[in-house]
Amino acid sequence: MNGFEQTLIGGIAGGTAIVIPALGELTSELSGIVNLGTEGCMLVGALGAYAVTVATGSAEIGVAGGAVAGAVFGLLHAYLTIYRKADQLTSGLVIWFLALGITGVLGTGYVNDAITPLPIISIPGLSQVPWLGPILFRQNLLVYAGYILIALMIFVLRKSRIGLLLKATGERPEVVSVAGNHPNLIQVTAVTVGALFAGIGGAQLSVGYVGTWFDDMTSGYGFVAVAVVLFASWKPLRVMVGAYVFGIALSAESVLQTNGIAINQYLLDALPYLVTLIALVIVSRRGGRKAPEALSRALTDVT
Amino acid sequence: MLKKLTFLKKRVLKLFATIGGTASLLVSLASCGTSTASASSSGSATTVGFIMVGSRSDYGYNQAVYVASQTVAAEMSNVKVITADNIPENSSVTQTMQAMVNQGAKIIFATSYGYFPYALKFAKSHPTITVLHQGEYLTGKFPGNFGTYWGEAFEPVSLGGMAAGSVTKTNKLGFVYAFPIPQTIDNIDAFELGAQSVNPKAKTYVVNTSNWCDPLKQTEAASALLAQGADVLSQHQDCQTAVIEAAKQAHAYVVGYHYDASSLDPSGWLTGSVWNWAPLYKSIISTILSGHFKGSKYNANFVGSFAAHDNPLVLAPFGPAVSSGMRSKILAEEAKLKAGASIFKGPIYCQNGQLLVPAGVTPTYAQINNFSCFVKGVVGTIPQG
Amino acid sequence: MTKTSVDLENSQGSHEVSPKAGSSSEIASKIKTVFRRHRFVYLSVGTYIASMVVFGLIVFVKGSNPFSVFFVIVQSTMFNGGSLEQIVLRTVPISLAALAVAVPARAGLVNVGGEGQLIMGAIGAAGVGLAVGSTIPGPLAWLLMAMAGAVAGAIWAGIPAVMRTVTGASEAVTTLLMNFVANDIMLYLIYQPWRDRFSSGQPQSQPLSQSAQLPSLFGSQLNIGVVVALALVIVTWYLLKRSHWGFALKVVGGNQEAARRAGLPISRLLISSMLVGGALAGLGGMLNFAGLEIQLVPGITATFGYIAFLASWLGRHDPYKVLIAASLFSAIALSSNGIQLNFGLNGSIVDILLALIVIAPLFLSKNRKALTK
Repeated sequence: MNGFEQTLIGGIAGGTAIVIPALGELTSELSGIVNLGTEGCMLVGALGAYAVTVATGSAEIGVAGGAVAGAVFGLLHAYLTIYRKADQLTSGLVIWFLALGITGVLGTGYVNDAITPLPIISIPGLSQVPWLGPILFRQNLLVYAGYILIALMIFVLRKSRIGLLLKATGERPEVVSVAGNHPNLIQVTAVTVGALFAGIGGAQLSVGYVGTWFDDMTSGYGFVAVAVVLFASWKPLRVMVGAYVFGIALSAESVLQTNGIAINQYLLDALPYLVTLIALVIVSRRGGRKAPEALSRALTDVT
Repeated sequence: MLKKLTFLKKRVLKLFATIGGTASLLVSLASCGTSTASASSSGSATTVGFIMVGSRSDYGYNQAVYVASQTVAAEMSNVKVITADNIPENSSVTQTMQAMVNQGAKIIFATSYGYFPYALKFAKSHPTITVLHQGEYLTGKFPGNFGTYWGEAFEPVSLGGMAAGSVTKTNKLGFVYAFPIPQTIDNIDAFELGAQSVNPKAKTYVVNTSNWCDPLKQTEAASALLAQGADVLSQHQDCQTAVIEAAKQAHAYVVGYHYDASSLDPSGWLTGSVWNWAPLYKSIISTILSGHFKGSKYNANFVGSFAAHDNPLVLAPFGPAVSSGMRSKILAEEAKLKAGASIFKGPIYCQNGQLLVPAGVTPTYAQINNFSCFVKGVVGTIPQG
Repeated sequence: MTKTSVDLENSQGSHEVSPKAGSSSEIASKIKTVFRRHRFVYLSVGTYIASMVVFGLIVFVKGSNPFSVFFVIVQSTMFNGGSLEQIVLRTVPISLAALAVAVPARAGLVNVGGEGQLIMGAIGAAGVGLAVGSTIPGPLAWLLMAMAGAVAGAIWAGIPAVMRTVTGASEAVTTLLMNFVANDIMLYLIYQPWRDRFSSGQPQSQPLSQSAQLPSLFGSQLNIGVVVALALVIVTWYLLKRSHWGFALKVVGGNQEAARRAGLPISRLLISSMLVGGALAGLGGMLNFAGLEIQLVPGITATFGYIAFLASWLGRHDPYKVLIAASLFSAIALSSNGIQLNFGLNGSIVDILLALIVIAPLFLSKNRKALTK
């Protein structure tokens, strides 16, 4: 196995912890609610998954625990922003701090616990494909879940009524309401499902890729996920590309070092954000696809 | 309208004041019992504070400190121990030291490398408090209430390197480290030299993570090293769970550091270097309590060593993969070090072929602490300043 | 800013909407308003008590006595000179970064970039301070570092402002992203070019020379930066509440269309609000660096910028209230030591307290909006 391949394997595994939360953030933002608390939802997801894995001995059940933990925090964000009309950015940051505190307090006991992380599953046949096989198809369950989720999102957003409703809610809640649907309910669902994805992303870190719990272990992955959605201008396929590319950028340094190439990691680390900033300028300049209407209102109306 | 509002505001303020007053009264009543109780129980005991950068249960550096601090608490009846963990290496540590002094602490152990400037500054501004820093090697003048302590960590690390060199099949050893600080460079060099002593073909591949404990980066680093073909991993960070976990999954071997984590991977664990701080802590505290700290060996850079039989870092138990022949070889080497031998006895060459230690010369600790190159056989570069 | 954010004390908003009809209905509506406000106050007190109960429950679940914990929070922070000094020191960067949120907020802009602007301020100050700090007299070094910090912070806030006015990219998003870039720039610098070659291999810059460090106040742990920060709060208050510029910002923030018709230079005002905000945060970073940290280290801001965002929001973007909120958050952060030392609880429990203090008014956002309608 050479270094380049190893970068890609790590990039896909780590990128999964970006792509799933990013798809969650996409869902949330399409409905008109931005969730800066994605980082916090990932964090509680990581701890929730770890705690459940310790309790049950099964990392698969743990993932479900992480998803629920993330969803609970998402529900809080949804309730505050939708029913209590709270400022979305403030609420999101508060969710993050709440998660930092709660995981810090409840996680102390878990630092010392060992678990058996999600096993690597080789997909018969596909994993034998030269070069690409080991990179894409010798991974854990959640990496495959990520692939499926991407396909599912593309389908739902392009072809299904649910996707239509979601996008309509983000653009014109009034119209959705006139048509006999409940925009609030749709938004709550979208934000909660989004946070559930974030929780799964956290689980990928704690019981998948890394296999330990540590304080503040998401260390900015949630914010990268938010950035990826903006970079992708709300298109799932671009979310996928962005997330994996960023995942690869974040994991490249170690591999470069073992190949005797010393590079200052922080230049690489800054890359995702710089690329996103440039992409934002270009997208806004072209006047192309803009943010969902309700979302841009939320981003400018801060009280 | 405005008047009414002002009136309202006043009433609200009053209300708050009443609520606040009642609440604080209740609180003070409620807590009266607890605070007096703790004060009386401490009696004439001296309060000693330990500050840790990471979690006290990290299976590594900080847990070693925490365990030793609890030993001190259990074995020294005239000492009350307070601890704080997860304190970052910025001015937060000053605040924690201040809080400890407020709690009555007279002795503070600042146990992370990056605490050094804050600890020194705090000692200067608080002459009645004795501050000890774990790990730094100060070249300047020492205030009378400040000292640093460490051990010749590279001695047991070189023994771990022997174990690693003896089991590797690929002749590639992986070493994950945090920062290129002198201690770490010495450890990597000693690890490689130890491995070479039993297996001249062994090479050590190094990756740094720029963080004392970032399991994510450690996983990436460990995966990259394993992909390079490394079949033994060792490390110098504060926490080691992620590296051990990665090795375990790849069925590679592990040489531990800081804390005996053999339970995490019993079959892959070769050996390791683990801190046994309690004797040193107790000795330092006793010196301070006796009033003879100023001018003592602890009011300076104290470095324990095998030769002086006071190295706080000791060899961990062996795992099943180390053959009995190799075990006795390693223990024989340990005995030699205790008799005054050195792993850094020349000739030793840097990666680039430059002579680091001339033939026949045994460098002092201060010289070793100034090494700024990896020895021949280490693969990887030191990030240059 | 929309009408919903009009200050509670500012009665103009309710005047505008109060019916101009007969005096009896006017009185009725006034009574109604007062009643609503009463209700709001009770609700506020209620939610704060509720959030403290939640915190108490968490403490209780972790096996400590909530009353003792609350007592220690107050006792370990408010009744000790050393701790009070530490609170004040930490308030300096948080309050200035919070003003960096408050000033643009007046013009309706959302600055989530306090963290990055603090970092850039520290970088600017460090660049100048380390280069010439030891060769020039102290006061000159302080002045140059302050200028460098302010300029660096202003640039960091100015870029999103220009992106907003020229291309329409949301500043809420771009300022957030630039926090991460700023942090990576700092890490890059202290990891290689600025790394202290004479001491350890840890990524940290050389310490600032003694003469360039901000002088301490009356031999305490406080330094002159505290006075500067306080002065900046007053100046900011004056600029926002009394100056023509501050009024123009408010008009732009209230109704851009009206501002355009009144011939106000909207783009220039928007950009200037961000520049001033960024400069304030940059100064905060400089004061934190030159007064307290002395050298650039990873985590020098320790999420101060995000706490500042919450402080500004809690203080409703009003300089004095923002200062109070910043001090409160600073005290809460500090109380983590007391909690940990006395109860063995994980210090990050104070993050929960901080979050709950903000969640309480967030919970009432709807009521507050109804109130100002």
